[in-house]
Amino acid sequence: MLKKRGQVAIFVIIAILIVIGIILLFLYKDRLFPGKEGAEAFSPESYLKSCIEPYIKNSLAIQAKQGGFIAPEGYLDYKNEKITYICYTNEYFKPCVVQRPMIKAQMEKELEASVLGRARGCVESLIGEYKNRGFSANAGEVKNKVEILPGKIGVSFTMPLTVTKETSTQRFDRFDIGIKSEMYDLLLISENIASFEAEFGDSEITSYMQYYPDLKIEKDKTAEGSKIYTVTNVATKEKFRFATRSLVWSPGYGVDEK
Amino acid sequence: MKDKIILTALVMVAVAVFALSAGFSDAAEQKVCCEKTVNSLLCQEVGESQCAAGSKKSPTACASTDFCRLGTCYDSIEGTCIDNTPKIACNAAGGVWNKTSPPQCSLGCCILGDQAAFVSLVRCKRLSGLSGLQTNYRKDVTDEVQCVNLVRNQDKGACVYESEFVKTCKFTTRAECSGGVNGTSLKGQFFKDKLCSAEELGTNCAPTSKTTCVSGKDEVYFIDSCGNPANIFDASKAPAYDSQKKIRNLGGIKDYWTNAKRKEQSCNPSALSGNAESSTCGNCNYLAGSYCRASNKRTGPENICADLNCKSIGKKHGESWCASADKGISDSNGKKPVGSRYFKNICVNGEVIVEACDDFRQQECIQDAIQTSAGPFSQAACKVNRWRDCIAQDNEPDCLNSDKRDCTWNPGLSAGNSTNGACLPLVSPGLKFWEGEEARAACSLGNAACVVQFEKGLFGGKECKSGCECLKSDWVSDRQNICMALGDCGPGINWIGERGYKQGFSVTEEKKSD
Repeated sequence: MLKKRGQVAIFVIIAILIVIGIILLFLYKDRLFPGKEGAEAFSPESYLKSCIEPYIKNSLAIQAKQGGFIAPEGYLDYKNEKITYICYTNEYFKPCVVQRPMIKAQMEKELEASVLGRARGCVESLIGEYKNRGFSANAGEVKNKVEILPGKIGVSFTMPLTVTKETSTQRFDRFDIGIKSEMYDLLLISENIASFEAEFGDSEITSYMQYYPDLKIEKDKTAEGSKIYTVTNVATKEKFRFATRSLVWSPGYGVDEK
Repeated sequence: MKDKIILTALVMVAVAVFALSAGFSDAAEQKVCCEKTVNSLLCQEVGESQCAAGSKKSPTACASTDFCRLGTCYDSIEGTCIDNTPKIACNAAGGVWNKTSPPQCSLGCCILGDQAAFVSLVRCKRLSGLSGLQTNYRKDVTDEVQCVNLVRNQDKGACVYESEFVKTCKFTTRAECSGGVNGTSLKGQFFKDKLCSAEELGTNCAPTSKTTCVSGKDEVYFIDSCGNPANIFDASKAPAYDSQKKIRNLGGIKDYWTNAKRKEQSCNPSALSGNAESSTCGNCNYLAGSYCRASNKRTGPENICADLNCKSIGKKHGESWCASADKGISDSNGKKPVGSRYFKNICVNGEVIVEACDDFRQQECIQDAIQTSAGPFSQAACKVNRWRDCIAQDNEPDCLNSDKRDCTWNPGLSAGNSTNGACLPLVSPGLKFWEGEEARAACSLGNAACVVQFEKGLFGGKECKSGCECLKSDWVSDRQNICMALGDCGPGINWIGERGYKQGFSVTEEKKSD
């Protein structure tokens, strides 16, 4: 009888140990088997996105408040900030001449150049991350392209990337990531306003705002006739700011020219 | 023989606040059309020294040069065209420059699902590509209204198709369903006015209680499990879930999840508030001041009809009205305080945006209101102050011709060449009286000399014979008023309500005897 009780007790203890073991296995499975689980969960796109997104957003914000350029040329000095003139005339009574057409294309070019270094750093960091996870990884020359698209900023990394572990090899040629942004619409509206100024001398911001419910446009004017437009998406709070000088009415008869 | 004494009173009225030291213009430098200035501005007519080194220049107007002729800049990627662009600016941006508008810029109607855009063909291809749709371009449509009308009455409904061996659905137009769903070659079966969540269609799309805002629409919509917009959000029509998070029998709301309903068939369609801030009804109305936006409340639907009106000041979304920051009082003759300016306020998305009209009162603010069922709706605008040729008018009809100028006629006064009345600006313009010589010249138009003739009596004393009105105090105040109406001249008060430190005018007398 006692022998049987002892056996039962041993079985119970073994069963408890097994249960505890299973619980521990579930709780610490990531630490115990990092390589296999990690590789399945790891997404290079997500990694690259989290690496480049803050940099893109920061560059974009700087460009956006300076009329689309990181180092503006042909700008208005407004409260110690440089704002690019998209359309300008130095004369009185005349509509402006377009100075920076295709703002979007120019902004993409600048953005691309400014993030190239960071993009390479992100790829190196990605390779490092793979190595930490027990993979061997190699990448070729990195080329990146930045596109401002409706609803997002598209960033593509073109490079040959090979990831190997034991006998399995994965090869990537290109990663495409999208960063949420409404800058595309802001730029097209801004271009339209500048075009309107060049044609008619001034633009009516109320009608733009009534037509596009998500849009807020502010128009500040300086004493010498420059206008500073700030175009904002009220839902995302993104802004684009630029300057124009067009159809300026002189104080007095305009004999003393600017 | 009468002893005549002619007394001439020369009355000089002029502003006495000029900063004489400032702003005399430089020795005249020849102006040239400069392709690029030292400040990197393109195609400007500036002094020769302002031209950047190596930049093209010509001593003519830019419009007469070849290098600064304005043309159309064509963006071959986006398919957009920008007029009034100099070649150098277009080329630097990577565009294609043309003297005249190229054929690629001609417009037609681009149909994008249930939306339409009046754009160029390349732009249409671009937009279609970005929206995942096949290009549907109608060159024969020649105006925007016609283009918008083309898509207005399109059939919409459930397009059932098979993707990866699953019967699924997209709520779209008949054209997209038969032409290829999502820009692919997949064609589906179209069920007009049916929702993808309709049980009878047997697709994998089921009702959910989630909501969304749809591009180009005011209202909050339910979405189904495939991401398609369903009918307008109505809390009483949301599906109920059991303890296992499965939808209970739809029962009374089955019809709402089967057939597409019009705005008028949805909750509170005629609410004057446009269901603003309602957590139970998503039937927003932009014209009433509500629009679908993400909710910032923790409970309730993810999206609600946000209130766009400026409630605290009783203005509606889109209303605009004139404002002024002047403390100095402007009088009924249009004389405005020195430094005063017009402003236009706009109520947008629940906040007031201030737009300044041009400084120096080169623009004035005008406003009017239209009557609507919800009360008056005011609209304001900054309008150019056409004051420049008032003083040159010598008769009332020309002076008051509001098609050409903004002036007021003052009979009995004289100014400029007019002796039978003075034509003066309706709103006095501002002047840069602290620099340059122009303000002095502009104010000097208010100078006047009045000859008063006296006759000396035989036993002393003198009697005024002509020009006697100039001896009255009214004459001086009339001249002051003329000065102030001409601009920032004369004895003015500034916009913060302070009088000038100087008198602002002077009266001198000179005696001449005959």
